[in-house]
Amino acid sequence: MAGRGDGADGARARQHVFLLPEYLKDASKKMKSGLMFIKLVNPCSGEGAIYLFNICLQQLFEIKVFKEKHHSWFINQSVQSGGLLHFATPMDPLFLLLHYLIKADKEGKFQPLDQVVVDDKFPNCILLLKLPELEKLLRHVTEEREIDKKKYYKFSKEKTLKWLEKKVNQTVAALKTNNVNVGARVQSTAFFSGDQVSSGKEEDYIRYAHGLISDYISKELSDDLSKYLKLPEPSASLPKPPSKKVKLSDEPVEAKEDYTKFNSKDLKTEKKNSKMTAAQKALAKVDKSGMKSIDSFFGVKNKKRIGKI
Amino acid sequence: MESSDEVAVHKHRIHLRTATLRDAAPVTLHLLPCEVPVNQPAPVGRFFTPAIRQGLGGLEVSFRGRKLRGEEVSVPPGLVGYVMVMEDKHDFSEGSENNEEQGEQELVESPEALERDFDCFIGATASFSRFTLWGLETIPGPDAKVRGALTWPSLAAAIHAQVPED
Repeated sequence: MAGRGDGADGARARQHVFLLPEYLKDASKKMKSGLMFIKLVNPCSGEGAIYLFNICLQQLFEIKVFKEKHHSWFINQSVQSGGLLHFATPMDPLFLLLHYLIKADKEGKFQPLDQVVVDDKFPNCILLLKLPELEKLLRHVTEEREIDKKKYYKFSKEKTLKWLEKKVNQTVAALKTNNVNVGARVQSTAFFSGDQVSSGKEEDYIRYAHGLISDYISKELSDDLSKYLKLPEPSASLPKPPSKKVKLSDEPVEAKEDYTKFNSKDLKTEKKNSKMTAAQKALAKVDKSGMKSIDSFFGVKNKKRIGKI
Repeated sequence: MESSDEVAVHKHRIHLRTATLRDAAPVTLHLLPCEVPVNQPAPVGRFFTPAIRQGLGGLEVSFRGRKLRGEEVSVPPGLVGYVMVMEDKHDFSEGSENNEEQGEQELVESPEALERDFDCFIGATASFSRFTLWGLETIPGPDAKVRGALTWPSLAAAIHAQVPED
């Protein structure tokens, strides 16, 4: 807060541009308070990430940030650097619980949940224990025992993989209804599998959905899920071909949904650049690293994201 | 400034003043295709807004002598845009604000209750349902990252929806 000393009137305070679910506005009529930003573990990286927690409705929202070089906001009569756009979208808390269940599973025994969800680094994790229908949620990923009316849980890999498969399937359905073109993504990953000819359309969707879900689970579990879904194993030893040589998908252009283009951006901007003016070229030097994960869509890593809230 | 925000959120909580979500007045937002490395008041209404023209196939304006082309972009359905600003900490210790949070204090007993005194508050200062997206010389195309990001909520909904039990 010290850095804000120059803006005692608040005029120079950092302004955050957010997109929130509409129902939070309505829900706020009933609750005087109860919405808060907290730092919890990112179940994929194990590092910290910002979440929005609703105490009254007992909901968890994840915060993602759109961040791209060379953007700023004009907000009424002010300028805000960075051009960040924050998204709050509902998050399945089971991904976070799973992180703790897997950690606790190293001890290999049934444990009560309040001994599982313990975190010195992110003490706010106890809020997860207050979520409704926790027992029902946990049934997807754990074996449970009841002794003296107290429940004890143990991580079940078998059940978890089944649960994740369902997640993949419903994500595949959403990719289809949203007309997300998964071809381009596979086009680039196909170089790693060495099997691009035989990769059918359905498999493309599954691989894409697997990639999205993998942003919420550990690398180890992601690999297990890949095997479970019988996705061909990527051979990471092959060098990535220069993106200029990557052919675009055969799909008709109009079938391509924005979302995918975004994902396969480096393939296409390469082509587009030839038509750009010199000024645009100068601005087109965007970050082209790691296009696979959801985070990269938003162009910001966890560590950075923390600072923005 | 950013590092202090990080410290603030590390152990503590940033409470969103829910009443501000209802009262937030509409705001005009422009997303520019360039970095202006300051956060401060700017006479947007004097220099920028009056220069916006409806050109062929989109809006046109110039900024620092460069031509920008843009168009209005809507916030995805089911979402509302807000501009939020963090309050200074001393606001919280002035007592009157404490009362509002008491309901929550009862709901959540925290092991570090004493540290809760360091919690921060953030409030919405304005709301929006659309903003103007600007590109240098051409309107940002369908490939633009920001357009992709705006489709994220619909996909996130599917990823995080509960799955049926067997």
